[in-house]
Amino acid sequence: MFSSTMIPPFSPVLLGGLAARGLSPKILQPALRHAMKTIFQRHPDLFERLSHMGAPVYLIDPIDLPLAFVLYADVHNPEIEAVRSAEGVNACATIRGPLLSLLRLLEGRIDGDALFFSRELVIEGDTEAVLALRNTVDGVEVDVMEEILTAFSANLPRPLSAPMSAPVRLVARLGQGLFARAADDLSILHTALTAPLQRRVDAQAAQLEALKGAPARTPSKPRAKANQRTLREGREGAQI
Amino acid sequence: MSALLELVCPAGTPASLHGAVENGADAVYLGFRDETNARNFPGLNFSRPELEDGLLFAHDRGCQVFLAVNTFPEAGNPGPWHKAIDDAAALGVDCVILADIGLLNYAATHHPDLRRHLSVQASASNPDSINFYVDAFGVKRVVLPRVLSIPEISDLNKQIAVETEVFVFGGLCVMAEGRCQLSSYATGQSPNINGVCSPASHVRYEEDAGNMVSKLGDFTINAFGEGEPAGYPTLCKGRFVTAGKASYLFEEPTSLNAASMLPELAKAGVTALKIEGRQRGRAYVSQVVAAFRRAADAVEAGEAVPELGLENITEGQAKTSGAFNKSWR
Repeated sequence: MFSSTMIPPFSPVLLGGLAARGLSPKILQPALRHAMKTIFQRHPDLFERLSHMGAPVYLIDPIDLPLAFVLYADVHNPEIEAVRSAEGVNACATIRGPLLSLLRLLEGRIDGDALFFSRELVIEGDTEAVLALRNTVDGVEVDVMEEILTAFSANLPRPLSAPMSAPVRLVARLGQGLFARAADDLSILHTALTAPLQRRVDAQAAQLEALKGAPARTPSKPRAKANQRTLREGREGAQI
Repeated sequence: MSALLELVCPAGTPASLHGAVENGADAVYLGFRDETNARNFPGLNFSRPELEDGLLFAHDRGCQVFLAVNTFPEAGNPGPWHKAIDDAAALGVDCVILADIGLLNYAATHHPDLRRHLSVQASASNPDSINFYVDAFGVKRVVLPRVLSIPEISDLNKQIAVETEVFVFGGLCVMAEGRCQLSSYATGQSPNINGVCSPASHVRYEEDAGNMVSKLGDFTINAFGEGEPAGYPTLCKGRFVTAGKASYLFEEPTSLNAASMLPELAKAGVTALKIEGRQRGRAYVSQVVAAFRRAADAVEAGEAVPELGLENITEGQAKTSGAFNKSWR
């Protein structure tokens, strides 16, 4: 969101984010507060590995959403806040990447170093704080979907929570499947739309490579003249 | 220990330990959360209670746990290193991995029943050196430095009466291990004493005209163009300008991958295969361990080593066979 150089992937997240651009991030706040509270209850040692750093603040910037998140990684009272702008946020570090990559990182389903090597993840600021957070989160074994579903079931009226648990999980799984299919379809669409341009770029790149390998051509006439001049100058020199 | 080739796998957190064990590790190696091990990174490693839980988890599933105490104690302050060895013995780890002769002597004297492996940080690469460690401190296994070809390992194994362990995957150091001063030169901290190479506290990433510039202390290490795969911000993997041309003077950002050489390593008499990467996440550990489990099982069954498909998670997204195949000779 706040990055000028990272290009977001063409995905359902990007389209959803564009559609929700007019909404205030504040409407997410109750859900975010509840999610953090639930995760902290299930993992009370969530940020214990960061205890030597005090209470670091991170800006998490999903590049395909029109908002970002501020994580207050306080060992005893962690909080997360959605913001529209980084102005006024005093973060020790910023972590940028596509939302799904950040979620996979949070769940430990993808390696942070691999994301960094592939340039899908960009970090700014205090590298030590970022590394500590990465290791902390990776060591906790958070399952985002499971946390949300558990929180949802727990908030239903008691007579409903147990019988509704299985249908809710089924709906969530169906939703995940639909999302994955939409992501694949958009990827195909993106490839189809950009294919002609890509072919032209590839052809130009091939031409450039061919030119690099070709021997440099110099006009023959000026060289002949230059040689004659050199010979003449040589003779004249010899005469002296 | 019944496998033909024992798979020794990294764990930086309890979650990684679970991933390694569940994906077929024969042994897991790890360290305490301090300078007593060579991966003293922020947020990484095990507290004593976490190690206790990890031991239960691993032993219940037939997997061993090795504790790395493989840095060199600070002069006049051996306390944390001695305590690490004492706690390892008390908690019941299967072996300690040591490099310093003082610590080897301490462990042999105070905990003679605690199995001792010689760390790669000791850089013991010839029969005289290895036999000294065996005779003086009773080490049972030597982790070989990443400087030997497979024929050299084969010759070496015929001249020593101790197990050998070799790195087969992951980050690659290009210098005499345990002696490198590059990180110390740039930051004042080294993997040998502080347990951390190119500490994150001294690393900065900056954007410059579309390039990602990595800096270590006062040194610019590299500038990666748009879309170019990146590497770790270590001096040995830096790109420097000499004679007007920027190039990798020591080593390119690349990972060791010796999967295709496992049959030759088995023939050379190697006992164990080590996967580097305690600093990597549990997704990496799980994926690499599962792949090498398939590879080691294939070797044991006399089959060809399958394609492992690990290219996308390696440093610089590139691989090398390192010194196993010294093509520069």
